[in-house]
Amino acid sequence: MNNKGSAKKSQLDADVEQTLYAKRQKIYPREVHGKFASLRVLAVVVLLGLFYGLPWLQWAGRQAVLLDLPARKFYFFGLTLWPQDFIFLAFLLIIAGLSLFFFTTLAGRLWCGYACPQTVWTEIFMWIEHWIEGDRQQQMKLDKAPLSASKFRIKFTKHAAWILFAAFTGLTFVAYFTPLRDLAQRLLSFDLSPTETFWVFFYGFATYGNAGWMREQVCLHMCPYARFQSAMFDNDTLIVAYDEERGEPRGARKRKVDYKSEGLGDCINCTMCVQVCPTGIDIRNGLQYECIGCSACIDVCDDVMEKMGYAKGLIRYTTQNAVTGQESKILRPRIVAYLVILLAFIGTLAYMIATRVPLELDVIRDRNALFRETGEGLIENVYTLKVVNMDDYDHEYTLKAEGMEGMKLFIESEKISVKGGEVLDLPIRLRVDEADIKQRSTTIHFVLTAIDNEELKVTEEARFLGPRQ
Amino acid sequence: MNEVEIQKKSLSGVQRIIVILWLSFVMAGIATGVFFAAIDPDALSPCVTFPEVSRSGAYTIGFLLFWLLTASSSLLTSYFLYSKS
Repeated sequence: MNNKGSAKKSQLDADVEQTLYAKRQKIYPREVHGKFASLRVLAVVVLLGLFYGLPWLQWAGRQAVLLDLPARKFYFFGLTLWPQDFIFLAFLLIIAGLSLFFFTTLAGRLWCGYACPQTVWTEIFMWIEHWIEGDRQQQMKLDKAPLSASKFRIKFTKHAAWILFAAFTGLTFVAYFTPLRDLAQRLLSFDLSPTETFWVFFYGFATYGNAGWMREQVCLHMCPYARFQSAMFDNDTLIVAYDEERGEPRGARKRKVDYKSEGLGDCINCTMCVQVCPTGIDIRNGLQYECIGCSACIDVCDDVMEKMGYAKGLIRYTTQNAVTGQESKILRPRIVAYLVILLAFIGTLAYMIATRVPLELDVIRDRNALFRETGEGLIENVYTLKVVNMDDYDHEYTLKAEGMEGMKLFIESEKISVKGGEVLDLPIRLRVDEADIKQRSTTIHFVLTAIDNEELKVTEEARFLGPRQ
Repeated sequence: MNEVEIQKKSLSGVQRIIVILWLSFVMAGIATGVFFAAIDPDALSPCVTFPEVSRSGAYTIGFLLFWLLTASSSLLTSYFLYSKS
């Protein structure tokens, strides 16, 4: 960037800094149509469709996706997860984080521009606003106008629509934790629990506040990702950039005059790119951290270029290297490294889910006595086994103890039956002849196998304690 | 970044409180998730002399305590970083 540009930029920085930290100036983004705007509409429809639609899906007689916190069970279609499966969530979060790194390095702020809930909900709220208040000019005019009955009516309608939509959003959010059908029924009879009511309001209020009022402020002040994403950028990362070489010097011109002979660049200084920007920046000042990569300016500038009969792409997706005339590479060590790690994590997670055994065995030693000597001279250890049947179906199991010679297992009944999704506390005793005990503490194993399915099998380590030898 | 720029970029009182509360809210959420994934509040009840609390109630109390903890940490960090001037 030349000196003039950077001087301008720092002046603008100061302006922005002041508006941000003093009084926020309301931004009225102009509506955009074009290739990337359509892409964002698609993202909005798909992502919000998933969010609002999933709770309505049923699977085997229950809600397909349900995080039942009070019961400590998490349903994902055919899969029922328990808190013991927390490792899956940890993996999922790591995968999400790595994907963010990968896509940021590859294509910049794709997340911010198309997929972030803040962007997606703001988009919907702006549609509602546009539908009720009219386009950018009308909105600005309305806000400047003194309060009148008609202004009040329009504003009231807008906020009512926003609040209604936000409340529906809050309700949907709660439906991920309480079955939606039940929730909807109780809502109609005003019978929501205090917790449910709180979360409907909390999430609804957050949606209304963030998407209706705060908008770009969330990206600028609250979002951690917006602050550190630039650390993942390199000179080959896709960015939204203005072609300064081609555009400058900018300026208005008459259509019939050859503007090049007047020393003008391709930018006609129509400020459309500024008007559409949801964070209110001027992309022509270079890459700025406020830019969420929504590419609204690309769409609108392409339109203008087309009308002027110039080539499109004065503002476009490009890379720093391409701008400075160097070759851009897609495959570079950082990208490959992220991709390899990402695929490794996805593969491991898929393998773990595929080979998951929905059965758990915990062994708890009797706390009162280390061991007991029976009348017949045998050494006895007492345990409580926790059998967790994490499957959706009932099963019967057999238990074996291994690891010492002549070890006898005493248990209430041969077959241990546990209902689907339940936990059984099972007191058992192990007896060994004192002569067979070689050391004070011996490692033994409990093996629990389902009678109807050999693959439902877990082995758990435990200790057998005896007298000092 | 020099002194002046830090001064310019530093946040006002209310903004600082919001940043502290918001980020500690996120962290408390994560901590609550990890904690209650490992520990079932119902299994704790014999050790705790509280009046009877449901699981959801225990999650809520746990979350608020975590939030208090994370917010205090952030608040103290912020205080010690910015109180010199």
